[in-house]
Amino acid sequence: MSNSSFEITMPKVDLNYTSAKTPVHSDPNPEAKPLPKVTIDGKAYEFKPGDTIMQVAERYNLHEDIPRYCYHPGMPIAGTCRMCTVEVEKAPKLMTSCSTPAGDGMVVHTRSEKVLKSRNGVMDFLLANHPLDCPVCDKAGECELQDYTFEYGPQESNFKEEKRVFKEATTKKLSDKVTLNMNRCVHCERCVRFTDDVTKTNDLVMLNRGWHKELAATDEKVGLTNDYQGCLTDFCPVGALTFNDFRFEKRVWFLDKKPSLCDGCSKGCNIEVHHDKEIVQRYMPIYNEKVNGHWMCDEGRLSYHTYADADRIVSPLVHDQASGRLASTNWETASQVVNAKVKSATKTLVVLGTDATTEEGMLVKGAFANRAEVKYHSGFGDNKALDHLLRQSDKTPNTNGLKAIGLSPLAPTDINGNDLVIVIRQGRARLPKVEGQDVILVGVYSREEIETLKTSNVRVHAVLPSLATIEKDGSFTNCDGHTQSFTAAVTHRGKSLAMPRILAALVGEKR
Amino acid sequence: MMYNNEHFEPVITPNVSKPGCETIDFYIKNEDGYKALEKALKMKPAEVVDEVKKSNLRGRGGAGFPTGMKWSFMPPNPVDGQGNPKPKYLVCNADEGEPGTFKDRLIFTKTPHRMIEGMIIGGHAIGSNKGFIYVRGEWFKECRLMQKAIDDAYAKGFLGKNILGSGFNFDLVIYKGAGAYICGEETALLNSLEGKRGEPRLKPPFPAQVGAYGMPSCVNNVETFAAVPYILHKGWEKYAKMGTERSGGTRMIGVSGHVHKPGVYELPMNLSINEIIEIAGGVKGGKLKAVIPGGASAPMLKASECTVLTDYDSLAKAGTMAGSGGIIVMNDTVCIPEATYTLLKFYEHESCGQCSQCREGSHWLARMFKRILDGGGTQDDLDYIAKICGNMAGQTICAFADAVTGPALSSVRKFRSEFEELILRGGLKGINREESVSHKMGGAHV
Repeated sequence: MSNSSFEITMPKVDLNYTSAKTPVHSDPNPEAKPLPKVTIDGKAYEFKPGDTIMQVAERYNLHEDIPRYCYHPGMPIAGTCRMCTVEVEKAPKLMTSCSTPAGDGMVVHTRSEKVLKSRNGVMDFLLANHPLDCPVCDKAGECELQDYTFEYGPQESNFKEEKRVFKEATTKKLSDKVTLNMNRCVHCERCVRFTDDVTKTNDLVMLNRGWHKELAATDEKVGLTNDYQGCLTDFCPVGALTFNDFRFEKRVWFLDKKPSLCDGCSKGCNIEVHHDKEIVQRYMPIYNEKVNGHWMCDEGRLSYHTYADADRIVSPLVHDQASGRLASTNWETASQVVNAKVKSATKTLVVLGTDATTEEGMLVKGAFANRAEVKYHSGFGDNKALDHLLRQSDKTPNTNGLKAIGLSPLAPTDINGNDLVIVIRQGRARLPKVEGQDVILVGVYSREEIETLKTSNVRVHAVLPSLATIEKDGSFTNCDGHTQSFTAAVTHRGKSLAMPRILAALVGEKR
Repeated sequence: MMYNNEHFEPVITPNVSKPGCETIDFYIKNEDGYKALEKALKMKPAEVVDEVKKSNLRGRGGAGFPTGMKWSFMPPNPVDGQGNPKPKYLVCNADEGEPGTFKDRLIFTKTPHRMIEGMIIGGHAIGSNKGFIYVRGEWFKECRLMQKAIDDAYAKGFLGKNILGSGFNFDLVIYKGAGAYICGEETALLNSLEGKRGEPRLKPPFPAQVGAYGMPSCVNNVETFAAVPYILHKGWEKYAKMGTERSGGTRMIGVSGHVHKPGVYELPMNLSINEIIEIAGGVKGGKLKAVIPGGASAPMLKASECTVLTDYDSLAKAGTMAGSGGIIVMNDTVCIPEATYTLLKFYEHESCGQCSQCREGSHWLARMFKRILDGGGTQDDLDYIAKICGNMAGQTICAFADAVTGPALSSVRKFRSEFEELILRGGLKGINREESVSHKMGGAHV
């Protein structure tokens, strides 16, 4: 081309990946300008200028009234599924509530006849090519297609043609974590927008167009590479993307759901622990604007395996002089043994892993106040963010919390000169390097860890199992300084005890 | 006077049959080329917009939106968040993909400078210094010719810096699409221009606020731009007089199908479809059965309805649309369900697949028509076609879903007896008709 070079700059759009879900109220000061109001189904609601109708509904917990596929509060608006249409008075056509900005004095009907007919039409189209394989689909029970069919859909379909089948994408592993079944896809493209705009890894694309539009990894050989793949399966409205770890493990209606915190890193993402009869099946993120938004990373999502591990030590172990092995015993025996050991030691050091709750930290500090020095230890060094979203380099949840109660970090030379080291650690912090001292381990350990210690000639005197994060109450202070408390999500089924009773055993006091 | 309109004279095509008409020398020598530009550059931008407004020029791409008004929507001095001025872009939509429409190609190959001049004037009017010509992917030859024309215009100083000493700069770039019908929709075109998937954007924001590369943009059809030099050169009164009360000027009509002389005709708007068919040599090989008046997405008209005039408003009143000016004539040897199926197959293939209704509906309709042709149809299907169309029309981001329902719904409504007969007799075989070749070819989708 003969003409001059073009300078084209793209406007920078910052993504707000945490959308507010709290109502807004006008300034009570009579001179202040009141907030605009929109009427939804006959009731007026105040909103912040710039909100879409959907966002207003979200603020006031009316989200049940507006079904949606492509809309997700943490992603840019697409407006393509056409499920969230509402009737706006004076507008000639139905409007998509996700993309239409609310206006002052606007009157919105979410359940008029016209709206319901439109939603019924959309469901008719989406179900036409859907395989309806709910009995073998993992999403059944938490599937938006099922729910909305029940609520809005047609009872029967006149689709007599052969259904669309993506032969090569019926069970396709997009990575070792996520499986794709393209036949079930409703083409909402949440997943594509997630990898484009949230993780910014551009892992997924839609190939082709029209009715044979197909989801695929951008590079088929590499597959999905982002660290938040589990989120894809959370917000996939149908069973198109399923998480391999949970796939075919449990029907979702058997699951009990309890809120807790993820202790996989110093971010402290809010999670829901899904368990059946106290057996944890998966973690799912729950929305917290200040901490994790809508997401959580895969590492944290899979971290429940540490606690649900068959090799986790859930019974006290004591070193048996005769056989030279650690042998399982009861708490009475273990208490006597460790108590004697603690009393006979001349100099004791307590290394508190930064995966302990702040309350546990205070208990430990109090229990050993005149007996031993207490230092905290994470083993991961200073914390830094690993990406622009959530992941942190410090893989323990409470470094800031223990720092706040006045504990100091473990220096490499601190261990020397002690003849007993008590390591308290709940499965996340790294073990300190111990050479030549007697060691009492308290907390969450796996058989493998103990065996590694033994082969490296560490004299483990006793192992006292305690409760894991999801099994106890407490609070963590995350890397940004937010303190979050949590309660037990599951009941521990082994012989592990809560920290106060273990401390009592150690120092020989009734607590 | 010809065509029963004493004001009429060809605006765009007076010389297209003459040899060498595509060259810049011919355009300057014989057609007063770039005189309008000279005049426009001496005027203020607002005056140019006003001139176009008064001429009643309406967009020739299909929707028929008044061009002057579109230009006046462009913000005068856009700034970004930091207060820096934002560039404005002028985009020419040359993605002519509507089946039955081929008027823009004639302009590209025979009188490209008219369009270039129109674009420069447009750029002056809206205050843009950069123009894109988005060309349909299949137009290889046309693209080369247009690039030659642009190079010539640069050489003569009509493009580039300081055009004709006025201080106004304007650059033109050709961008080739990848051959998707939907990229003729202006926001899908802008996405494609940016290198994204050709999928229509949500509106608002409209392109006049957030267009190509996030900047205010104005998208117009080739024919619209080609009409602008005439308006500036000969005056808006003359242009407006040629047309009807609400839309000025002439229209390029591409007549195809069963006529003796198919081709592009530049015609006044006060002609009926029957008259246009006469001009195109009359119906070939039988009696007139149906006409699609404005490209494939316009609902069909029965032979008895063909007395309707071809201006925007009359056609809209008749339940169809003027669209892009492609008239497809069908004689009585045509099996309407089969012809509709051909169109639906096109739409099934070209739907971008964003909106649920359009993606699934276009597929569903095409399969349904195919089943009826194959003899598997039932009378209920005809009612269900109407229901599907009702669920599709007006519910999607762009007008594609309406375009699909246009032929599907109108054919079933207006030629229902034909469908019923086809269903009763068990498909095309039952009426002693071979499946036409085109169906067999398109059977396996790419």
